[in-house]
Amino acid sequence: MTNEEIKDLVLEIIEDIDDEADFDSLDPDQPLRDQLDLDSMDFLDIVMELRKRHQLQIPEEDYPNLATLNSCVMYLEPLLKDA
Amino acid sequence: MTVPVLVIGGGLSGIAAAIRIARFSLNVQILEQHSRLGGLNSYFYRNKVLYETGLHAITNYAETGDKQAPLNRLLRQLKLKRKELSLCQQYKSKIDFHGHESLFFSNQPELFDAEIQAKFPHIHDKFIQLKKFIDLFDPFTLSPFRSAKQYLSELFGDPLFVDMLMCPLMFYGSSYENDMDLNQFAIMFRAIYMEGMFRPKGTIKDFLDTLISHYEAMGGITRTNCRVKKIIHSGNRVTGVELASGEIIECSYLLSTIGSDETRALMNPPGQITPPADKRLGFIETIYELQEASTSTLPEDTTIIFYNTTKTFQYRSPSDYLDPSSGVICFPGSFSGLPPKKNREIRSTHLADFSRWKKLSADPAAYLEKKRQAAVESRNVLETIVGNFTKDIVFENTFTPVTIERYTSKHKGAIYGNPVKIKDGNIGYHNLFIAGTDQGFLGIVGSMLSGVSIVNQQILPKI
Ligand SMILES: Cc1cc2nc3c(=O)[nH]c(=O)nc-3n(C[C@H](O)[C@H](O)[C@H](O)COP(=O)(O)OP(=O)(O)OC[C@H]3O[C@@H](n4cnc5c(N)ncnc54)[C@H](O)[C@@H]3O)c2cc1C
Repeated sequence: MTNEEIKDLVLEIIEDIDDEADFDSLDPDQPLRDQLDLDSMDFLDIVMELRKRHQLQIPEEDYPNLATLNSCVMYLEPLLKDA
Repeated sequence: MTVPVLVIGGGLSGIAAAIRIARFSLNVQILEQHSRLGGLNSYFYRNKVLYETGLHAITNYAETGDKQAPLNRLLRQLKLKRKELSLCQQYKSKIDFHGHESLFFSNQPELFDAEIQAKFPHIHDKFIQLKKFIDLFDPFTLSPFRSAKQYLSELFGDPLFVDMLMCPLMFYGSSYENDMDLNQFAIMFRAIYMEGMFRPKGTIKDFLDTLISHYEAMGGITRTNCRVKKIIHSGNRVTGVELASGEIIECSYLLSTIGSDETRALMNPPGQITPPADKRLGFIETIYELQEASTSTLPEDTTIIFYNTTKTFQYRSPSDYLDPSSGVICFPGSFSGLPPKKNREIRSTHLADFSRWKKLSADPAAYLEKKRQAAVESRNVLETIVGNFTKDIVFENTFTPVTIERYTSKHKGAIYGNPVKIKDGNIGYHNLFIAGTDQGFLGIVGSMLSGVSIVNQQILPKI
């Protein structure tokens, strides 16, 4: 997957979790949680969706890597290289 | 075949937990002893009329868009669309300490505030302080029992006000006699006084059907008439369950929603329930249906009345079959936007003593007669509060703690379960966790959040 595709994937997953999520003013370097009013329960869903869609097993200690949209891309890029 | 996750119990906590697992395409099965799901929150038919069993009002009302509100978080977690549910809000409810004082509250917290300012002006500033405290308080961190009664008594120095404040919160969410854990108090305070109460426009059957079809559409499996007889384990690792039929199902994770002691009783060797953990609170409830052209002058704009008629409110197991001196009176038709019903309904709930009812149940005729008498005793008090309605009754049905024990296998028929809660769901096994009533989040929204949060904490990250 390209970086753009990974971005789209993450946003699509978030939209699936919360259909009211507003991406218009999203800053890719700021925490997703604060900007989208997500909580730790929603966050777990991002991890679980990645697993469901791409069989990715993300260990708990790696969750902080998913904090911002850009950090998601950095972290997921090697894992989704062949996806 | 090994099922990744088995859920014992198809009450609301079990259904919510199973939806979480099914949502991520993981195989999951609900094992329910009855022919129908719902547990305490179910329904039955008499003369082709549907009666709901475990619903007065649902707590934690929230408007659409308030993302952090427990109700909306729950729906998001279950992938249920808020827009698809029609929620009817309460009119207003009342704490009626008959002959002493009364306080109204509704889904607008300003009403409660104004009532307190008018009737307890000397402590109104303390009430504002309490709201600030609760606003900043995190009731979800694991902490030892802290007495809410002591905290409130020191803050207010007014026993009547403290009793009145605690009365609805105890009736709707305390398994503990005459006190509450401060955490539980804060959860219930927000749920009832800050957020408020509602019910779905449809029946509890419609609500359950929505949940179950949602679950099954995700691939979840429901098995009814499947009582779990034993939990198979070696040491603290569970490998499966044995059903009453003798069938064995293997699993990687087991989630039990039937209670902590009730779960331990299925182990080898079975756990024993010893005092003081066997101290349980029982309830008796009567449903009345009144004839269409009722001449009774019942309150029209009140949804629920939490009342007490004695000097000090006692929330404890009574030393008689029931304690009608306090209780809850609910008018299930009094929610805004509900389709009109032909007959008006009233429900009354009181504390009741399990052991007396249990003993009596050995003699079915005497048990039935006592149920009838208990309803009369209850009505005698109710009518001093809401006016007479006995002459208009066309149907009545009473259940006791023995009924609850029979239908849900809850120890001593205690709706709110064990007074000691297991907040992280961990009862000492590697891959067995508990959720629901004995985890500690009570009520309809509470039990569902309990199922969701234990799956999130203990199962999804590991599986
Ligand atoms: C009369 C009444 C009024 C209520 N009013 C309200 C209200 O107005 N608002 C509110 O929010 N809450 C109310 N509640 C409380 C609410 O219904 C409960 O807190 C909630 O439904 C508990 O759900 P649960 O899943 O934890 O437990 P349960 O509903 O008890 O579910 C446990 C399930 O496990 C099954 N089971 C037990 N043993 C086994 C076994 N060995 N094998 C297989 N299955 C087994 C049982 O049959 C049951 O279905 C009320 C309850 C009652 C009884």
